[in-house]
Order: sequence, then structure tokens, then C-alpha cells
Amino acid sequence: MSDTPRSTLLKLGEGRPTIQVLEAGEGEPLLFLHGAGGIAAWQGALPILAGKYHVYAPLLPGFGQSNGLEYLEDQFDLFQHGFDVIEALGLERPYVVGESLGGWMAAEMAALRPKEIGRLALAAPVGLWRDEAPVVDLFGRMAHELAPYLFHDMNGPAAQQMLGLTQLFSNKDDRTQEQIETLIGMSRGFRTVAKFLFPIPESGLERRLWRIKAPTLIVWGEQDRFISPMYAEIFREKIAGAKVVTIPNAGHLVGLEAPEPYARAVLGWGSPG
Amino acid sequence: MKFNWFHLMPYRWLPDDFRERYHGVWVDLPNALYDPERGHVLYNEYLDMLEYADQQGFDAIGVNEHHQNGYGMMPSPNLMAAALARRTSKAMLLVLGNSIALYNPPTRVAEEFAMLDVISGGRLIAGFPVGTPMDVNFCYGQNPVTLRDKYREAHDLILKAWQEREPFAWNGKYTKLRYVNIWPQPIQKPHPPIWIPGTGSIETWDFCAELGYNYSYLSFSGYKRARKVLEGYWDRMAALGKEPNPYSCTFFQQICVSDTDEACEREWWPHVNYFFNKCLHLYPGMMGPPGYMTEASIRAGVVAQAGNTSLNMGGNKSWKELVDGGYIIAGSPATVRQQVEELARGLRCGHLGVALHIGSAPMDLTNRSTYLFANEVIPHVRSIWSEWEDHWWPKAMPPEKREQPGSHNTAVQAQAERPTEVRHE
Repeated sequence: MSDTPRSTLLKLGEGRPTIQVLEAGEGEPLLFLHGAGGIAAWQGALPILAGKYHVYAPLLPGFGQSNGLEYLEDQFDLFQHGFDVIEALGLERPYVVGESLGGWMAAEMAALRPKEIGRLALAAPVGLWRDEAPVVDLFGRMAHELAPYLFHDMNGPAAQQMLGLTQLFSNKDDRTQEQIETLIGMSRGFRTVAKFLFPIPESGLERRLWRIKAPTLIVWGEQDRFISPMYAEIFREKIAGAKVVTIPNAGHLVGLEAPEPYARAVLGWGSPG
Repeated sequence: MKFNWFHLMPYRWLPDDFRERYHGVWVDLPNALYDPERGHVLYNEYLDMLEYADQQGFDAIGVNEHHQNGYGMMPSPNLMAAALARRTSKAMLLVLGNSIALYNPPTRVAEEFAMLDVISGGRLIAGFPVGTPMDVNFCYGQNPVTLRDKYREAHDLILKAWQEREPFAWNGKYTKLRYVNIWPQPIQKPHPPIWIPGTGSIETWDFCAELGYNYSYLSFSGYKRARKVLEGYWDRMAALGKEPNPYSCTFFQQICVSDTDEACEREWWPHVNYFFNKCLHLYPGMMGPPGYMTEASIRAGVVAQAGNTSLNMGGNKSWKELVDGGYIIAGSPATVRQQVEELARGLRCGHLGVALHIGSAPMDLTNRSTYLFANEVIPHVRSIWSEWEDHWWPKAMPPEKREQPGSHNTAVQAQAERPTEVRHE
């Protein structure tokens, strides 16, 4: 396992984003697409995945040191950007693992250029919508109110860590300069998320899912209150050969809350048999 | 100085336990609380109040746009302005305004504002707000990240639509129109004066300075707290080399006038309390979606305290605290006069938006306040800033040339109501 990833800056060219890529481990490539919270630390499932794969985790513009959101005007630009990153990293038909926002992006990419994605694992991806199970509004709530939708166990370390961060959004005027920068950094990341997902994170993925050719694993925390696990069944129905794994005692951020069983499922899907 | 009588049009019957039961007055407050028959009375009373302000000599009467909001029942301010255009003939019509990024295509605003300008004989002041996050993002679904870009494109399109005399194509990022050629065109040339409401961001000041628009600082926290913000505005104007013309700036203030200071507190406290504790019961989770504020504004807000926005203040305060803090100006005409002068000189604003209806105030109380302000306050402060020219005021048709609503019916009534004589050749 590797606890400190290497960080490199990938310049995609003039008039295109510059992307910070976190890398760790050796072996076959695994492209990790993060969720709306970015990658705050190399923790949870990531070090476990890096025990077996060469993990590449690019950060979207607005997260970490990545910039150039202004060059991605719409979702189509965003998906093509994903392929630009794959090409710049020199990856061929990688195993793509995406969580929530990243899962949506991975599914859209696999439907857009099906031959270029080798294998797919989607952890509680957004992108679908049913009126009877509305996805929680990520943008119209105070930060500390969101946490109970994201975790199964609010007393667990992952939930407590997030609650600590949400304190920064309070009205108190006692933040350190470092905390202010953390706060601004989080705002910048959420801005990227909002650009592509506001106000409802659905824009037709369902009618494109049939094009996905990559063997696809759907992973869902059984107690996900942010997006109902019922959506897993829709993905399974629409993607040929897709398999669903449900992780007990886990909420939406399954990679942080139940890293071992989640990573085991993802690793198992990567080397079947 | 000039005075516009500005209405928010609040719903007056929010329940007593409203704050406990609902997290805010806006966006997701169930509309089961709204009774349309009471609403019928309210719209008519509120329009009457604005018409009375016209009769009493206010320079302008003003309306604005909010959506899904318990304190602002004007999703379409243009409908209100249209009603007022036909029932008034003196006061200018301040529509502050249309959130132009919401209209698809934005030429709709160019058309409706032109209609209002033509109906009213050139009395329109055109307001172009970006709009609050509650209105534009959460009620109308605009993306907060691209909102300002879309706003700017809508602005450019409307201005061009008002001034071009030949059809043109508009290939924008947000709006694509093969033929732009709006009928009617506004009476005012090159276009009605444009006022931009804002809450203190430097980007808005620069926008106003660049294009010569009036900056209207909207705040419910009163003139004393506005001082720092408007000092920032004047510093910025100086830095940009603009003359410090007070008429480039409008401030809004809630004001109650009664015959004495004591009567004012007795008569107005329940209605002021209703406003600050019910109407301004706002849910913070919807006040700042990601991307709505620029990073520079977030940085400024983190230092100046983002929670203390100009909208979300004044709750749980006593009458004395609200008066002493300048949230409201309240009292006898003499008291109000002195504070209005302090406000005008302190903020250097040539235009004052006067909110003389507050919260749950009824008709009689409001009109008394309007009467006293018009007759016993305005004459004493009218001359402030008279050495400056107001470049932000409508160039309306002369009053004697403006049509009087109904006059054409009167002129032909006699012929209309008797049989036409059959002529025999």
C-alpha cells in the first residue's frame, strides 16, 4: 500500500485545462474519477486499490491545483476532457472507477466512446432520475445539513471528519488563513460540480447507457440516503452484463465509510476469476 | 433629491408559528399558506397605495421581481407596472427590475419594457438585476456558475435590440436568434435609463461605471450599515475617474411616519416586527449556491462575514434597536426629516427608494405615512444635491402631451351611445 501519492501537473495544452494527477502503486492502470468532494486525502479505498493497481487520480478543474474550468463549457466538453486526460496519461482502455459525480462521468464517457474504456466500476453514480426517489439537492443546503445524507454512521470517523470541515462554513470570524484557503478551495470545487450538475443531476444518461460495452460493476452503499440504491437496478437493466454489489452499513460515500469491502469488490471486478 | 415609493408586496397573513414551522419565507414555503381571495384584496390595496403615492407627488413608484416568496408577490413586475401605467400619469415607473438572465429569449424584456415605455409616455426606468440565488437559481433553475455570463449576454442583446433600426442576427452563447427586430421601440432615446440593483459587489460597481448606469444599493439593514459599502462605491468611482454625482446612486430605506414618535412605535411595531421576523426569515442554505459569487467576492465575504448579508439581518430586535441601528427610520415628520437628511448626505445618494409599506401594514396606516412623508418630509429635503444634474432620470414626454387614460372614451361617448343616423343621399 502507498500512503503518499505522487502529484504531477498535466498540461493539456494552450486554451485547455491543467490537471493535477495523483498517482500511486504499480501494475495495470486504474483511472479513478473522484466525486463532488474531490480527494481531500489519500485515504479510504484509494490506498487499497493502489496496492494492486497503478492508480491515476486526476482532479477536475477547480479541485486541488487543477484549473481551466472556463475551457469546459458544457457536459460534452467535460466528457471529452476525460478522454484528453486518458490520452495525455498514455493509457489504453483503462479500468475506470468513478464515485458519484465521477461515476456519472465514467458512465457517460463509456457510452460516448465505448471502445476506449476497458472496464468500469461505478460507485453510487448520479445521472439518473425517478420522481419517486429524488436525488438530494446538493446545492441548496448548508454543508453540515448534507452530512447525514452522505454517511450511514454519523459517529464514524469519515462522517466526523466531514462535520469538522463544515464548521468552516459557520458565521464565526475566527478562521485561520489556512482554514480560509481550505474554505475557498472547497467553494472552487463545488463551483465545478454545480457547473455540470445544477440544478438536477440528470441529462439523458439513461437513454445512452445501452452503448456501454465495458464490463460494468455497480457498487452501492445499502444505506445511501443521497441517491437511493434503487437506481442500481436501472443501471443493471440498461447496461448489458452489469453486476450490482451492495455494501452493507455504508451510505453514499461508500469509499470513505466502508473502504475494505468496497475496494474488495472493485479489485475483484478488475481481475475476474 | 428624488424619491421613489417602492413596494415589495408582502403576504400579510403568515401564521404566528411561521418561524418554527418553516425554514424560510422563500423558494419552498408551501403555497397552501396563500389564500387567493385575500391575495385579490392585497393586489388591489397595494396598487392603490402606489397610485396614492403618485397623487401625493412622489417622483417615481417602484416594483420588483421575486419568485415563490412570501414577502414579495410580484413574479411579474411588468404586470404591476402595466396596471400602474394606466392609472397614473405623473410619477415615473421604476421596474427594478427584470432578472434578464431568466427570460428566454431576453428580447421579451426589451419588448415588454418598450411596451411600458410607450404606454406610459416614456416614464419607464428599466432595472436589470442579476437576481437573488433564491429567485434565479433555486426557483428558476439557472446555473449559478454561468449566470453572470448569461446576464451579460442578455444585457448586450436587449441594448442592441432597443437601438438597432434594421433586423439583425444574434448568435450568442445562450441565445440564438436569426431575426431580432423588436416592435414596439421605447419612446426614450437611445433607451430608458438603466438602474442596476446590487448588494455591494465590486463587479457590479464597475459594470455601472463602465456603462453609465445607476447603482441601486438594496439592503434591509438600513442606512447606518450601508455607509461602509457606499464608501466603497464612491472610492471605486473616484478610482475609475467618474464624477461623484449623487444621482448615480440609489439607496433603499424602510421608513414609517406617524404624527408623533410615540404613536409611530405603537402603530408600526407589529408590522415592522412582522417584516423583520417573518418576511426576513431566510434559509441560509439557499443564499449562496456554488459559483453564484465570484471568488473575489467570497474572499471579501469571508473577511467581512458572509453570514451577515444585507438581506439576513434585523431579526429578534426590539423597536429601539431597529431605530437606533438605522434599520428603519421611524417617528414624527420632524424626526424622519432629520434622519433622511443624515442618510442622504452620509451616503451621498441622490435617489432614495422609500419603503413606506412594511410587513403587515394595513392601508390606512400606510397612506397616512405616505401623506406625511410627501407633505412634511420631502419639501424639507428636496433641495439636497440640487447642484447636480440627474442623468439617470426618464426623458418622458411632457405631461401635457401624455395621454390621459379613459379620455378617448369620454371624447366619443356621446356618439358611441346613440344610434348612428341613417343618411339618405
